[in-house]
Amino acid sequence: MKGSFVARRLATASITILLIVLLNFVLFRMMPGSPERILLGRSAGVTPELLAAKREQWGLDKPVFPDQFVAYLGATAQGDLGFSFLARGKDVTEVLGQRLWPTLLLFGLGEIIAIVVGLALGAYSGWRRGGAVDHLGNAASLILYSMPYFLLGMGLLLVFASALGWFPTYGMYTPGMTYATPWDQFLDLASHLVLPVATVALGLIGQYSIVMRSSVVETMSEDYVTTARAQGLTDTRVLRAHALPNALLPTVTLIAINLGYVVAGAITVEVVFNWPGLGTLTVEALAARDYPVLQGVFLLLSVSVVFFNLMADFVYGFLDPRVRT
Amino acid sequence: MTAGQATAGTVARVRARRFGGAAAALRSLLARRDGLIGIALMVFFTVLALFPTLLVGPLETAITATGPRLSPPSPGYPLGTDELGRSMVNLTVHAARVSMVIGMLATVITVGVGAGLGIISGFVGGRTDGLIMRIADFFLVIPTFVLAIILTSLIRDALGGGSTELLGIRVSLLAIVVVIGITSWSSTARIIRSQTLSLRERAFVDRARVIGSGGGHIMRIHILPNVVNLVVANAVLVFAGAVLTETTLSFVGLGDPFQPSWGQILDSARQVGAPGLGAWWYFVPPGACIVLVVFAFTLVGSALDDLLNPRRRARR
Repeated sequence: MKGSFVARRLATASITILLIVLLNFVLFRMMPGSPERILLGRSAGVTPELLAAKREQWGLDKPVFPDQFVAYLGATAQGDLGFSFLARGKDVTEVLGQRLWPTLLLFGLGEIIAIVVGLALGAYSGWRRGGAVDHLGNAASLILYSMPYFLLGMGLLLVFASALGWFPTYGMYTPGMTYATPWDQFLDLASHLVLPVATVALGLIGQYSIVMRSSVVETMSEDYVTTARAQGLTDTRVLRAHALPNALLPTVTLIAINLGYVVAGAITVEVVFNWPGLGTLTVEALAARDYPVLQGVFLLLSVSVVFFNLMADFVYGFLDPRVRT
Repeated sequence: MTAGQATAGTVARVRARRFGGAAAALRSLLARRDGLIGIALMVFFTVLALFPTLLVGPLETAITATGPRLSPPSPGYPLGTDELGRSMVNLTVHAARVSMVIGMLATVITVGVGAGLGIISGFVGGRTDGLIMRIADFFLVIPTFVLAIILTSLIRDALGGGSTELLGIRVSLLAIVVVIGITSWSSTARIIRSQTLSLRERAFVDRARVIGSGGGHIMRIHILPNVVNLVVANAVLVFAGAVLTETTLSFVGLGDPFQPSWGQILDSARQVGAPGLGAWWYFVPPGACIVLVVFAFTLVGSALDDLLNPRRRARR
């Protein structure tokens, strides 16, 4: 039984990834201009002979399906995503690699803070339903939910960077700065990180606390919680040992599913703070119509989201044996 | 009395009951505090979107702008001006029309596609159902925003520039409408499908089938009217999402400077560096409008959900 659960989830994830690659291939064919021109970039001195040579090299003289698609699949599997227009013919994989770490840092930190604070806030307001924290948290969550991430970022930038001058307004490091010690460099990075991370965390806290709250409220009406109460256990013990472990279950899946939406927020937050990650790369590529880079970003982000969803499924299956059927 | 008359009478009665139901739903919506606040905000922004020229005059351009550049609010310019000297009041009110019309068109496409596929998926079942739901899941999982960015710019490149308009919206912005529709129909389809699954088992569907109605007829005449409530409640929430998506797409540079939406204004504000310069009047008005509109539609949408969805009603 257990084996089939893992196998089924793996199969679904593989099909999804295959569909993403197929979609990318279709988009690649939809691009303005012929593929060989795109592959050659906007370099000057393209002769008909060179075009023909390229066409043969890339298999463009063969039928679109299945030959070209299979070739595309093979190239993608090997990490060959084509060349960037913007970065003057550099590999897309290389360009993505450079921009990946700032994004991971920003969103990793933001996610962790949001999960801890959001789940705690949600659990507390669900537990003390109708209390002051619940009312305040509900209103704040709804407003944060209605607000695009970048607007929140612009607001924080206005108050804490422009008006109060506590934090720098853009970038990852102060430009032109030389550091005496690695510690100084770290401090500079940290001060640049505060506002973007706060934006990401605040944007997510609202969602996570709403989910956690309703999950706790639902769990509280279960029979085993009533039983635990009837046994005379203290309130905190009922919450910690009986209600919380079960209430946490649905949030695992929801956090993973939310990742796809978080990506949109990611892009805009980076743009507001000029954070040199995948988000600003996307906007730069968009302005230059650098489709290979855009598709690379799409592929990378989609595959990561599918991967994290798969992980969430396994974690869920591990925590809750009922779904392993 | 002939059979034709009886049918006509029945149809009229059913129709009356349905409209009565809609009026009753509106009444109970207005009786709730969240419903009332939401509806009031919706009416306010709808008026702004319908009569921008009547309220603040024609949209100012770089040529017709008369104000000082990037100046804070003053008696002549209650919300200040942008870097071209245009009044922020004028810009924000005109942007209401662009943002709301795009949101509305995108909602029509999203809900139309979602409800259509949801009904077919639930009613036909089998392989069709499996295929449609697979595709829906795919769109639920992948980061649709990045796909939307790529699709919008591809469609725009393919269409080229142009001054053709639909409902006062330029073709370049219609690409956004279509893309929002393509990328966000799946949650509607899921909701409508599950409702259709339960409707399919009802006696009136069996009755229709027994007297020889075809699948298309049953879906149109018997299933569709019974999911309309759900579709409306969902459409209100979809609208909120569509406005947010449009804003975000415009903010990353896919807006049209000649026809600014709220997101487009925010994009210009960012490019000028308004937050860093402390020019709050440049982005707070459009930003507040977005938050209020999304807030209003979310309030009304979840209130409708509470009223129409018996499971949620019981839980309260």
